[in-house]
Amino acid sequence: MLKSKTFVKKTRKGGVLKVVREHYLRDDIWCGSAACGGCPQDRPVLEAEPEIDSTLCGFPHYLIPDTNVVLHQMDVLADSAIRNVIILQTVQQEVRHRSGTTYQRLRDQSNNADKHFYVFTNEHHRETYTEREQGESSNDYNDRVIRVATRWYNKHLQENRKDGDTPKVKVVLLTNDRENREKAQKEGLLAYTVHQYVKALKGNPELVDRLAQVDMGESTDSDIKNEATGRVLFPEHLPLSQLQTGIKSGRYLQGSFMASRENYLEANVLVHGDDSRSIFIQGHAHLNRAVNEDVVAIEMLPEDQWKCPSSMVLQDKDGDEETSEPDLGSPKGRSNAIPSGRVVGVIKRNWRPYCGVLQPSGIKEATRHLFMPAERKIPKIRIETRQAESLQGQRIVVSIDGWPRNSRYPKGHFVRKLGEVGDKDTENEVLLLEHDVPHQPFSQAVLNCLPSTPWGITKEDLACREDLRDIPICSVDPPGCTDIDDALHYVEKPNGNIEVGVHIADVTHFIRPNTALDQEAANRGNTVYLCDKRIDMVPELLSSNICSLRGKEERFAFSCIWEMTKDADIVSTRFCKSVICSKAALTYAEAQMMIDDKNRNDPVTVGLRGLNALAKILKKRRIDAGALTLASIEVRFHVDSETHDPIDLETKELRETNSMVEEFMLLANISVAKKILSDFPSCAMLRRHPQPPPSNYDILIKAGKSKGVDIETDTSKALAVSLDQATIPGHPYFNTLLRIISTRCMMQALYFCSGTLPESDYFHYGLATPIYTHFTSPIRRYSDIIVHRLLAVCINADKSYPDLLDKYKSQALCNNLNFRHKMAQYAGRASVELHTQLFFKNKVTEEEGFVLFVRKNAVQVLIPKFGFEGTIFLKSQDGRGEDSPFVFNEEESSQTAGEVKLRMFDRVVVQITVETSHIQHQKLRIRLVKPQVPGFTVPPVDTSNSAEPPVKKVKT
Amino acid sequence: MAGLEIISDQGYRIDGRRSSELRKVCARMGVFTQADGSAYIEQGNTKALATVYGPHEVRKGRGKIQHDRAVVNCQFSMATFSTGERKSRPKGDRRSQEMSMHLRQTFEAVIVTELFPRSQIDIYVQILQADGGNYCACVNAATLAVIDAGIPMKDYVCACTAGFIQDSPLLDISYVEESAGAPFLTVAMMPKSEQIVLLEMNSRLHADNMEKVLDLATQGCKDVFAVLDRHVRDHVSESHALMTAS
Amino acid sequence: MSSTLGVLSDAERLFIVHGVQDDLRSDGRACEDYRHVQVETDVVSNTSGSARLRLGNTDILVGVKAEMGEPDPGRPKEGKLEFFVDCSANASPEFEGRGGEELAIEVSNALQRIFNSRSTLDLTALCIIPEGQCWVLYVDVLVLECGGNLFDAVSLAVKAALFNTRIPTVVVTADDEGQQEIELSDDPYDVKRLDVDNVPLIVTLSKIGHRHVVDASWEEELCSLARLTVGVTQKGTIAGLNKEGSGSLDPESIYEMIESGKKVGMVLNSRLKEALEKEENSKREKIGFLG
Repeated sequence: MLKSKTFVKKTRKGGVLKVVREHYLRDDIWCGSAACGGCPQDRPVLEAEPEIDSTLCGFPHYLIPDTNVVLHQMDVLADSAIRNVIILQTVQQEVRHRSGTTYQRLRDQSNNADKHFYVFTNEHHRETYTEREQGESSNDYNDRVIRVATRWYNKHLQENRKDGDTPKVKVVLLTNDRENREKAQKEGLLAYTVHQYVKALKGNPELVDRLAQVDMGESTDSDIKNEATGRVLFPEHLPLSQLQTGIKSGRYLQGSFMASRENYLEANVLVHGDDSRSIFIQGHAHLNRAVNEDVVAIEMLPEDQWKCPSSMVLQDKDGDEETSEPDLGSPKGRSNAIPSGRVVGVIKRNWRPYCGVLQPSGIKEATRHLFMPAERKIPKIRIETRQAESLQGQRIVVSIDGWPRNSRYPKGHFVRKLGEVGDKDTENEVLLLEHDVPHQPFSQAVLNCLPSTPWGITKEDLACREDLRDIPICSVDPPGCTDIDDALHYVEKPNGNIEVGVHIADVTHFIRPNTALDQEAANRGNTVYLCDKRIDMVPELLSSNICSLRGKEERFAFSCIWEMTKDADIVSTRFCKSVICSKAALTYAEAQMMIDDKNRNDPVTVGLRGLNALAKILKKRRIDAGALTLASIEVRFHVDSETHDPIDLETKELRETNSMVEEFMLLANISVAKKILSDFPSCAMLRRHPQPPPSNYDILIKAGKSKGVDIETDTSKALAVSLDQATIPGHPYFNTLLRIISTRCMMQALYFCSGTLPESDYFHYGLATPIYTHFTSPIRRYSDIIVHRLLAVCINADKSYPDLLDKYKSQALCNNLNFRHKMAQYAGRASVELHTQLFFKNKVTEEEGFVLFVRKNAVQVLIPKFGFEGTIFLKSQDGRGEDSPFVFNEEESSQTAGEVKLRMFDRVVVQITVETSHIQHQKLRIRLVKPQVPGFTVPPVDTSNSAEPPVKKVKT
Repeated sequence: MAGLEIISDQGYRIDGRRSSELRKVCARMGVFTQADGSAYIEQGNTKALATVYGPHEVRKGRGKIQHDRAVVNCQFSMATFSTGERKSRPKGDRRSQEMSMHLRQTFEAVIVTELFPRSQIDIYVQILQADGGNYCACVNAATLAVIDAGIPMKDYVCACTAGFIQDSPLLDISYVEESAGAPFLTVAMMPKSEQIVLLEMNSRLHADNMEKVLDLATQGCKDVFAVLDRHVRDHVSESHALMTAS
Repeated sequence: MSSTLGVLSDAERLFIVHGVQDDLRSDGRACEDYRHVQVETDVVSNTSGSARLRLGNTDILVGVKAEMGEPDPGRPKEGKLEFFVDCSANASPEFEGRGGEELAIEVSNALQRIFNSRSTLDLTALCIIPEGQCWVLYVDVLVLECGGNLFDAVSLAVKAALFNTRIPTVVVTADDEGQQEIELSDDPYDVKRLDVDNVPLIVTLSKIGHRHVVDASWEEELCSLARLTVGVTQKGTIAGLNKEGSGSLDPESIYEMIESGKKVGMVLNSRLKEALEKEENSKREKIGFLG
C-alpha cells in the first residue's frame, strides 16, 4: 500500500521546497513479542512473560515510552531493571533528530539481548500508520501516533495469544505529558508518568534517584512539582529562532562557552568562525545558566560596561539559593577592561554525565543535596536522593536535567556510584570519564568479530602474501610492551645496496570495515595509556596477541620495503602484505647492548648495527632540513606489585636505539603518505602540523632574551639552529628548559583528509616534511587503520568501500580522532598527576627545580627529576598580596624580595607535600626552600628526623 | 542535526522498502493518439512519458541516412517542474544530452533496425516528475512505447538502479538515497538474453563490491521486466477485446 | 500556426470550408461548439499546483512552482508570475531540439498578455516582505500533444493549475531591530489558495471561409488564414486581444468574432469552475496518465 508524505522545507539558499516522498505501508512487520501466536517471527525480542514487581502494574506488561521519556529518562531506561520495552520508530527517529548521544544509548539498549528492547517500525505498518490531520500540531500528531501504536499492541496481543495458559500481556504507555496521558486513558489505554511508574516499582527503590528532574517551562509537565520559591534569578533565554536571526544580523555572536577554572563567576566565549576572538563574561546574570562547553549566543555589552577579569580565585562555597554576588572588584583602570558580553541564549547544550562528590549536608534526612563536580568549570548541581548517607565520601556520577530560571543551581539526577574517593581505581575511572575516554569492556557484538582461537596461518593466507619468514626481522620496544606493532629488518643486497624493511602489524586483516569491531575502534580512536593501565582501542586478543609482532611467532604484516644505498638514499620503495616471523622482540636496552657487544655477529645484530648507522644519516638529514628536537620530560612509575601504588619513579631515558626505530618509522610514514596521496588525492588521511603564528613565540624569545640569547623563529630550521646554539656555561639545564618552553609554543598536530585543504597546508612543521601520515601503529591508533586500508587499495591487496573514499566522512572521522588524541593526552597527563600525588602522599620531599615562568602572583617551577611543574604562590590567591614580600617587575619578568630576585631559569630548591585539605582536589603543594626569603620560605627538611624513609635514589 | 538514516537497523529504508524491493511500477501504453507509439510509466514518484514516431523518412540531415538500417533518434528532456528545485530549461544541458546519447545507444542495440533501411525512428522521452532513477524510467517507458508503435525489437530493454550504501546494496534507489552521496549503478539490460546494454556508475566503488551491486541491479531489471511484460500482455488483450467487441 | 502535422489536399480543404459554411464541421460540431474537455488537477505531486488538460487530441500539462524571490523594484508590494512554455518533442518531431521555441514564445506571450491586467490575479497576496521577498509563481506549460487550438487549451490548463495551487503559509517575524525572518508553517495543511475567479481564458476564433469557428481542430487550422485570440473573464470582460495569421479581417467580422468569443468564453469559464470544484470535492484517486 502506498501513501505519500508531503512536506515543505527550506533550502540552504533560503528558498522553499516542496518535498514529496513515498511512504510504503507493509503487512510484514511483526510485533516482536514471544507471547504472540499471530506473527510468523523467528526470534521474538520481547519476553512472553515479562516480570517486574510493581504496585502500580502488577501484571505482565511491556512499556512504550514517548519521545520525551526516552530523551530525559535514559538513565532509568538503561537500568537493568527495565526490560521489555517497545521503542516506536516515531520515538526513535525523533530522538535521533534531537540528541545523537541519547540515540546511541538507545541503540545500545536494543542491541543488548538481555534488555529485550524491540524497535517497532510503526510508521510503515499498515495498521499503525496514522495520517496527520488538518490543524494538528506536529507534537499532537506524534502523541497520537504513539497512542495508535499502543492501542494496536494491546489489541494485537489480546487477539493473538499463543495459548490459553500464558498470562495476558498488556502494554503500558509512559508519558509525562498530561494531555497525552489523559487522552490515552480516555481511549482505555494504561498510561502513567515515568515518575509514577518508577516509584511503584518494588524491587528497585534506588531507581527513583535516577529520574531526571525535568521541569521544562514550555511543556505541560505539571506533574513534576515546581520550585516552591518561584523567584526568578536569571534572565530569560531567547528562543532559538530569535537567536539565529540575531546571529545572522550580527546582533548576537555565537560561540563556545568556556567557564573559568579559577573563578566560577567568570567565563570566556570563543566566537565561532573567528578563532582569535574571545569575549569575557562575568557575573551570575550575564553567565545566565550557561555551562562549560555549551554553544551559546551572546550580546556584547556597551564599551563603558566592559569588565576586567578579577585575578581572584573564587570557588562557589555557599549553598544558599540567592545569587549573592561577591564583589569582584570593580575595574579600577578602564584600560584593563576587555570586550565583555552577556549570554542571551543557549544554542546547544553540551552536557555530559559529570563525576564528583556530594556536598555534605547538615540535615541528615534531607533528600535535596548539592553535588560538586570534579571539574571546577562545572557548577554545583542540585540532585534529589534518598541514599545521601551511603554516598558520602564516594565518587558519583550525576547528569544535569535542566536549569530553571528560579534555581540557583542546575538540577540533575544521580546516575551511579563509582567508588570511594581517593581509591586509585575510582580515581582512574573518574579521569577516564572526565576525559570522555570510552573504556567499557568490549561488547559481545565487538568480540564476535574476532577470529576464533587458536588462530593459525592457512595456505590461502600464504598464497596472497609475501613470505618473509626467513628474513632476520626483529622488533625494538620499551620494556613490558605487549602490543608490538612494528618490526624492522636490514639485509645487504648483492648489488651493494641495502634492503631495509619496516613491518607493521596487519591489523586491517582482522578489522573489516563497518563491523561492530571497526565502529568501536573508530569511536575509541586510539589506545589510552595511563600509568598503570592501558585502555585498548581493540580487544586484547588482537592487540597483545594475534596482531602483536611477537618474537618467534608467525604473524601477518604490512611491509614497507626500501632499497637504499649505503648513504641512505632511497632507490626504490615497495609495499606488500606479508607473513613474517620476528627473530627477536627486544627492548631498547637489549638492542643497544647487542649493538655495542662487538663479539656478536648474528644476522639480527648485524642488521641492528646497519640500521643504526643508516638512522644516524637519516636523522642528520632531517635535522638539516629543519626538523625540531623538542623536549618534554616523561616519567615512569615503578609500581608496587601488590598495592599497585607507585613506589618509585624514573624519567624515561632515551637511547640511540629509540631514535633508530623512530627514524625508520618516520621514513615509513612519509613513504606511505606519498603513496596514498598520489593514489587518492582527495581522500588520503594525513597528519599536518601547522607553523605556529609568530606571536606564539613571544614567550620563548622573551625567555631567551632574559639570558641574553637570541632565538630565531622565522622557520623551523632557524629555530632548530638557534636552539642548538643556546647554551649558557654553567647552566647545563638551560637548553633543555628552552626546548621545553618551545614545545609549549607549538600548535597541535592534526589528522585531516587531503581533499579538504589546499596542498600548502599539508606541511608538517615539527618534522619539516611536506607531507606526513601515521602508518606504523595500527594497533593503537585508528588513523593508521584507515591509512592501511588506503594503502592496501593502492597495491590491490584489499578493496575499498564508499566511506573510505568520501572526503567529508573521512574528515568527520579525522575530527573525532583529533579529539580522542587530545583527550588521550590529557588523560595520560592527569594519570601522571594522580600518581605523582599518590607518590608524594605522606611524604615531605625536597628537590631541585628551575623557574620556568614568572607570573604576577606566582612562579612556575619545573622539577626535572619528577617531570612535573608546580606553582609557588608568592601572594595569596586573591591577588591582593599586601602581605607578600615579593614585588613583581613585568618588564624583566622577575619577582624581588629584598636581596632575592627570582627570574626565569633560576635554580631553586623546593619542598613538595600533598595538600589534603580539600577532599576532591588533592594537589601537590610546592614551597620555596632556597633561596631563602625570611618569612616566606620554609626551612629545609632535616632528613634524619623525617619519619618517612627518604626517597629512593632515582635510577638514571 | 543528524542526516537521514538511509536504512534503519530494522532493515527498512526511508520509504519503508527493504533493500531489494522495487518501488511500485504502474504503466500505460497508447497514451497519445497522434504519435505512432506512446507509453507512460510511474516508478514510485518518478514519472516518465515516451513517444515514438516512425519509422519514417529521414527528416533532418539527409547525411544521416543509413542504407542498411534505420537510424534511431532520441531526445531526453525533463519538465521544468519535474525536480524539487525548478529547472531553468527542459533540455539541452550536458546531462540531458548525455542521457539522449545513452538512450540512442540502448535502443540501437535492441531495435531490429535492419528491417527499415533508409528510415528514421524517433524516440522522445520526457520526465514529468523526478524522484531518482530517471534514466531507468525513461528506458522502461521507451520500451513500452516502441512496443506500442509495433517496431520489432530483439528483446525488451529494462533498466534499474542499485546503490551501495552502508555496506549493503540497495535496489531501485530514490532521490533521497541518490543524494546521500553513495555510489550507484544504472543498468539497462535485455532480460531474456541477459545481455547488458548500458552500464553507468557515477562514483567510486570497489570492484569487489561491484558484483553484489550488479547482481542486485540485474535482478531488479528482471523484476521490472516481469511487470512490463504483464502490462504489455494486458494491453494487447484489452485492445484485442475492444476490437472484437466493436 | 506553425505546426504542420500534415498537409491537406485541396479536396479536403474544400470539404472543411464548405462544412463550416453550413455550420456543420467535419467532426459534426457547429461553429461555436467546443470539443470535450477533460481536466484533472494535482497530477504532479512535487509542484505547488498542477493540471493536465485534454482538449480533443491536444494534451497540456501545467506545473506551478512557488518559490521565494525578490519583487520588481517597480512593484515592491507584489509577487510575480513567470510563464514558461515548452513544446515537447513528444507532441511533434518538429519540436525536437529548438524546433518548438518559436511556438512556445508565441504561447507564452499570449499568456503574458491576458495576465497583464492587475485585476486578473491579486499579486499583492503574493507579497511576503514589501521590497524584500515575495512569492514568484513559475507557471510551466508543457505541450504534450498538439491537436489544434493550443492557445485555448493552454489557458484552460493554466487556470486549472492556478486554481489547484497551494502556497505554504509563511510568518514573518521581526526582531526589535527590524531584521525580518521568514518562517514556514510546520503544518502541511496550512496553505494559501489563489483567487482565480478573474483569470481570463483565451478563446481563439478562426476565420474559415466567410465564417469563424471556435476550438478549431488541426485540420481546420490549416484552412484558416486569420485568427483572433480573445481573453475573456468569467464576467465577460475582454482581457487582451490579438489577431494572428497571414490573412486579413474586416472590422465588421472582428466585432462579430469578439461577441461570439465573449459568449463562448463565459460559458467556458463557468464550466471550468464547475468541473474544478466538483473534482476537488470528490475523493477519487488521481488517475493522471494512467487512465
